[in-house]
Amino acid sequence: MAEEGQVISCHTVESWNEQLQKGIAAKKLIVVDFTASWCPPCKLMSPILSELAKKLPAVIFLKVDVDELKSVAEEWAVEAMPTFVLTKEGKVLERIVGAKKDELQLAVEKHATTVENATTANA
Amino acid sequence: MAVSAGFEGFEKRLELHFFGDDPLNNLIDNEMGLRLLDFESLQEVLDAVQCTVVSAVGNQYFDAYVLSESSLFVYPTKIIIKTCGTTQLLKSIRPLVDYAHDLNLTLCACRYTRGSFIFPKSQPFPHTSFKEEVFYLEENLPINLCYRKASVMPSKLASHSWHVFTASDAQATTRQLVSGDVNATFTLEICMTELDRVIARKFFRRPDDGKNGDTAGKEMTELTGIGGINPNPNSIICDFAFDPCGYSMNGVDGDRYSTIHVTPEDGFSYASFECVGSVYDDHDEVAQMLKRVVQVFKPATMSVSTTCTSHEVWTRVVHAIEPLGLKCRSCVMDEFPAAGSVVFQTFTATRRK
Repeated sequence: MAEEGQVISCHTVESWNEQLQKGIAAKKLIVVDFTASWCPPCKLMSPILSELAKKLPAVIFLKVDVDELKSVAEEWAVEAMPTFVLTKEGKVLERIVGAKKDELQLAVEKHATTVENATTANA
Repeated sequence: MAVSAGFEGFEKRLELHFFGDDPLNNLIDNEMGLRLLDFESLQEVLDAVQCTVVSAVGNQYFDAYVLSESSLFVYPTKIIIKTCGTTQLLKSIRPLVDYAHDLNLTLCACRYTRGSFIFPKSQPFPHTSFKEEVFYLEENLPINLCYRKASVMPSKLASHSWHVFTASDAQATTRQLVSGDVNATFTLEICMTELDRVIARKFFRRPDDGKNGDTAGKEMTELTGIGGINPNPNSIICDFAFDPCGYSMNGVDGDRYSTIHVTPEDGFSYASFECVGSVYDDHDEVAQMLKRVVQVFKPATMSVSTTCTSHEVWTRVVHAIEPLGLKCRSCVMDEFPAAGSVVFQTFTATRRK
């Protein structure tokens, strides 16, 4: 699938909801990057996120610009950027505020492995 | 080159203020100003200083960066860089002024402060002496900053003096009167040495702890009580634990920053705490925060420098700290154009176990 291994940017509330639902239905780990186009700390994390997306195609990576999707940012109580939310099947597993490279990597890998096991078991 | 010198914990701090096209009217609220400096440009400035970004976070008011050798805060019209070790902090001035110029921002005030180096002979140019630093500042600051003052504020301890250099342009005072709020803010810079040994050990990474700098930092924040210094549950902490030892954190609370850096090695242990506040803050809250800082580190010697255009903050410092077994040994005040009054106080523990 063209979308796997890449960070998907959601530019409308509709596409955001669509991606969320897709992830919930597929029981996949979703990593949301709440970012802003003018935010230098966010730029620090872009290459790392892309790398993680390539490495873990079974995980869904979504990017939300807080100015574009103000209502979504408010709904998820995003006060500082970047904020990463790890969610699966509608539950929030972890929330990381700030460009914390190692912490994000560790958290994604930790929750991704449980997902991997689930998909291989179903295959 | 110094022989067997340890890591220099004492920081050099630089604060630069800029203004937009209209000198009497600063940027309107939602303009990003300096925050529009892209990441690559910031990296270049930091390369000149010889440090790198370890982690970062931004909110609606400012961006905060934890660096390999301290911290950087970027507001729309103000930049604060604080670096330790043997970094060449003053080399950031020229590139910052140039990049700001590209954003139509002009430097209007500069303040450089530092304590006394534990290992002064290890410092590179232009930090080999205060005289050298002042010379460098004089040469590299634009001429519109016409009101300049350099001062070394002494204490009864030869090892603890406070060095201050300020420069501001002709409109600085007028600008302050217009944006009245500026008179209300104060900056608190605390330097602590001879930290309690048991506490200092908590800032060493345990070998094979299975953690990384971010997660080990988080643990140190909790275990040492640093997480409780600011009781506001909505404040954000960006912390990092260095290998094999050392700790840095930036606190972000609305438009206020706080920052802590720790060099735990015995023989040259050091910890700094810096924050901003307002003279309108609850007196008791400020006192409680100061007490918590002292209780976390239990230093044998501590210096507190308060920069404020109003005169009342420093008295609160003594009242908050003395009950904790630290006696005020000296108190010196000096006035600087635009920056206001700088009060430098030193404290030493009355009894040590």
